[in-house]
Amino acid sequence: MKKSANTKKRGPRRPSKASSRRKTWFWRLAGRLALVGIIVLAGWTVYLDAVVTDRFEGRRFEVPSRVYARPLELYEGATITEAGLRQELSLSGYQRVRAQRAGTYTESGGRFVINTRGFRFADGPEPRRQLGVTIANGQVSGFRVLSGPDAALTRLEPAQIGGIYPAHKEDRILVTLADLPPTLEPALLAVEDRNFYDHIGIAPLSIVRALWVNLQAGHIVQGGSTLTQQLVKNLFLSRDQTLIRKGNEAIMALLLELHYDKKDILETYLNEVYLGQAGPRSIHGFGLGSQFYFGEALKDLKLHQVALLVGLVKGPSYYDPRRHPERARERRNLVIETLLANGSIDSKTARRAEAEPLGIADKPSYSEDRYPAFIDLVRRHLARDYRQEDLQNQGLRIFTTLNPTLQSTAEQSVRTTLQQLNEGQDESSPLESAMVVTSRDNGEVLALVGGRKPDYAGFNRAVDAQRPIGSLIKPFTYLTALEQPDRYTLITPLEDRRFALVFDDGRRWEPKNYEGNEHGMVPLHTALAHSYNLAAVRTGLDIGVDAVIETLRKFGVTGPVSDYPSMLLGAVSMSPVTVASMYQGLATSGFNIPLRTIRGVTTAQGEVLSRYNLAVDQVADPAAVHLVQYAMQETMREGTGRSAYRYLPSSLSLAGKTGTTDDGRDSWFAGFSGDLLAVTWVGHDDNAPTSLTGATGALPVWARFMAQVPQHGFSPVVPDGVKYDWVDSRTGALTDKQCDNARFMPFIVGSEPTDRVSCSGELTRRIRGWFEGLFQ
Amino acid sequence: MKCQSIGATLVVLGALALAGCASGPGGSIYVPPNSSPDYGTAPEPPQSAPQNSTIRKSEQPEDTRQGAAEPGVTPSHQQSADSLSPAAASLLRKADALLAQGNTQGAVSQLERAQRISPRSVEVYYKLSQAYVALGQLSVAEQFTLKGLSLAGQNARLQRAGWMLLADIRRASGNTAGASRAEERAAAL
Repeated sequence: MKKSANTKKRGPRRPSKASSRRKTWFWRLAGRLALVGIIVLAGWTVYLDAVVTDRFEGRRFEVPSRVYARPLELYEGATITEAGLRQELSLSGYQRVRAQRAGTYTESGGRFVINTRGFRFADGPEPRRQLGVTIANGQVSGFRVLSGPDAALTRLEPAQIGGIYPAHKEDRILVTLADLPPTLEPALLAVEDRNFYDHIGIAPLSIVRALWVNLQAGHIVQGGSTLTQQLVKNLFLSRDQTLIRKGNEAIMALLLELHYDKKDILETYLNEVYLGQAGPRSIHGFGLGSQFYFGEALKDLKLHQVALLVGLVKGPSYYDPRRHPERARERRNLVIETLLANGSIDSKTARRAEAEPLGIADKPSYSEDRYPAFIDLVRRHLARDYRQEDLQNQGLRIFTTLNPTLQSTAEQSVRTTLQQLNEGQDESSPLESAMVVTSRDNGEVLALVGGRKPDYAGFNRAVDAQRPIGSLIKPFTYLTALEQPDRYTLITPLEDRRFALVFDDGRRWEPKNYEGNEHGMVPLHTALAHSYNLAAVRTGLDIGVDAVIETLRKFGVTGPVSDYPSMLLGAVSMSPVTVASMYQGLATSGFNIPLRTIRGVTTAQGEVLSRYNLAVDQVADPAAVHLVQYAMQETMREGTGRSAYRYLPSSLSLAGKTGTTDDGRDSWFAGFSGDLLAVTWVGHDDNAPTSLTGATGALPVWARFMAQVPQHGFSPVVPDGVKYDWVDSRTGALTDKQCDNARFMPFIVGSEPTDRVSCSGELTRRIRGWFEGLFQ
Repeated sequence: MKCQSIGATLVVLGALALAGCASGPGGSIYVPPNSSPDYGTAPEPPQSAPQNSTIRKSEQPEDTRQGAAEPGVTPSHQQSADSLSPAAASLLRKADALLAQGNTQGAVSQLERAQRISPRSVEVYYKLSQAYVALGQLSVAEQFTLKGLSLAGQNARLQRAGWMLLADIRRASGNTAGASRAEERAAAL
């Protein structure tokens, strides 16, 4: 059939036989090639189709997890300084401007008016409010909801302190079409793809029109690609401009349009588009773009802000409003003009929007590595329950316990003290430091410093430095003793005299006091407050090393603990975090409280995945712990910790303990107030000797920190079974309040002395007590 | 049966928590910060060590008295727990409402907020205990009761409520001997 038709056509021209043969041959070849081409193209299209649908159907975006600080709770009586509140507001992206819009605040003379944005917490939403907050003396002295639902307390939005990013470091906040401000879609389509709803993925006409518009304008106003093509380019293809790539782009755009509806494609585009860069992190999508440039939720943006974001699509770095505000403004106003020209807005609205300042928020102050030590610990805790890939791409929200105000105070205390200590020292091996701050009554880790330069990621000393704890062990030795009230009370005389232990293998151990001296007979509370080694070792040997180890185990120590007597002087290595966890029980009358860095994890939509609830576990007799707390308070007032009051107001009662290891290799301090527990360590990474003690290295870091934090003093409730008596602790007898050596000291009921001594020192034996009983 | 008996104590506790709000002041002494910190810069605490920090050799600081506390300032203690702050009380009421709706996890969240605000008041811990009873986690509940009791001090009303709650929880978890001991403690008050 075909052949005869060909012959008919060819007939009149009378071609030669040879050329006819050549032509036939040519057409057959061309036909076959075309056939192969069509098959290859069809195959290629099928392949591209699979690529397109696979990527588009599956999880379209890898959304990094967001890590939040604890939200600031505001209520009457909350402890926070003006500077602290200012810092919290700035971390949460608040702007200090006189405006009614969410995310702004004003301040004058300690009175703040805050327009909160509202936030969806794991336990429900916190609505938008306008708050009046007055601060005086480091405390909220007035709290009022000026508009919005009334409440006795409210939470600010938590500051984002980090993220767990996929390898490609793309960051985004997913939005749906319902989240858009009304002007966004018209503005985007007007500028990027006028016929979006009419074309089939590619639009040759728009390329021509774009050319025309650009020629008229004298510069590039419109691009020729459709949104669909741009999306295909971003999602599936490399950046190079080759013909083959253009071809692929066109085919894939057609396929995308074939499979999915316009709304779906638009929504994906809005979340995919690249809008800026923050260090290694790339800012994708309008949801995050809005946060990144304005610190506001996308749905709250005004026309001029929308216009700026839409203008940025064309060149986020060229039009970067932070670096090139003039270019950005011109581009923004061009977008507004385009909207005016196509009738989306009237000229009055356009003029008003063009007159607006850019209104760019400060660059979000956190970077991924702002709190490296804390985030490191959070990641370790998360690793117990979550897979790394889920954290990197599921957009989880992780609510941590970090208190940014306390964190910066802690960092600053470490920095300042270490600068002073390192001054004039060998620079090749500077002193290092670590610090842990927890909430005394619930074990939340509020601040964590991993080194002398807190914002450098690296060796996390707070978690990974295992160092001998020195005298920090002593409270546990004395606690073990005081749990036997028939044998030990705070005034039991202890022998602080030299002695030698000879082991079976012939080795000798001769413990010494720090200064090499002896103190003779000293009451237990004095021995602890002044950290006398000989008295501590004798007590420990008397009650048994195993009993002390048992106490450490009860207080949550799981690592190896040597059963050599040298452990009584702290030859046990622990990290600062472990020390904090162990001291938590001492600080809270014998209740172990697991340290927590995470309160809860939710999905991006707010559905709760995990909660990490408060739990307490009584492991020691509160009465015996109360006695140890007395001696640890005495440490601060009269003992090895008293230099803390160079920094601290005398009205702040505290309890604590110094720790020093041989040759000052480790300087420790652990202590607590009514609200906070803090552990500090100072030493060399290579374990070199220093001239420091616990009181001169770690204590200044601790005290500097405590001095700057508004808080409640330590004042434990006297537990059941403990009574206070006036005693003369040197003679170990009851005495009168007005006597010079009188101390009001706690005893476990039944273990208080029965002898009585007068102010002049005359001991009246039991007879007097017997007479007292007679006349009562 | 068991749950009902715990329920009876909890009703008493409900009244108690509200009464707690009305209890008088007292409790831990609040101390404002020593220096006015400006977190941007690096302020020196007013009584900071000399610039050329003298590193002392002794773990026991020299008795210069300059750094020592005022003589006569002695270790501190108090006879009863801090009272519940109004903000925490409002969260306890919210938790009560959630418990009544059967949203126990929600109640725990609110109670943990209250605990952060008033960490030294007994009522918060008794309420947490109540929530964990509702969740059927009796050993957790027992620990929170013990924690509350450790703060009750001389307050006979809070002591009695705590021991009664403890007795109920122990009986429900099969610890009759422990329950009897707790009851004796309550009766002795």
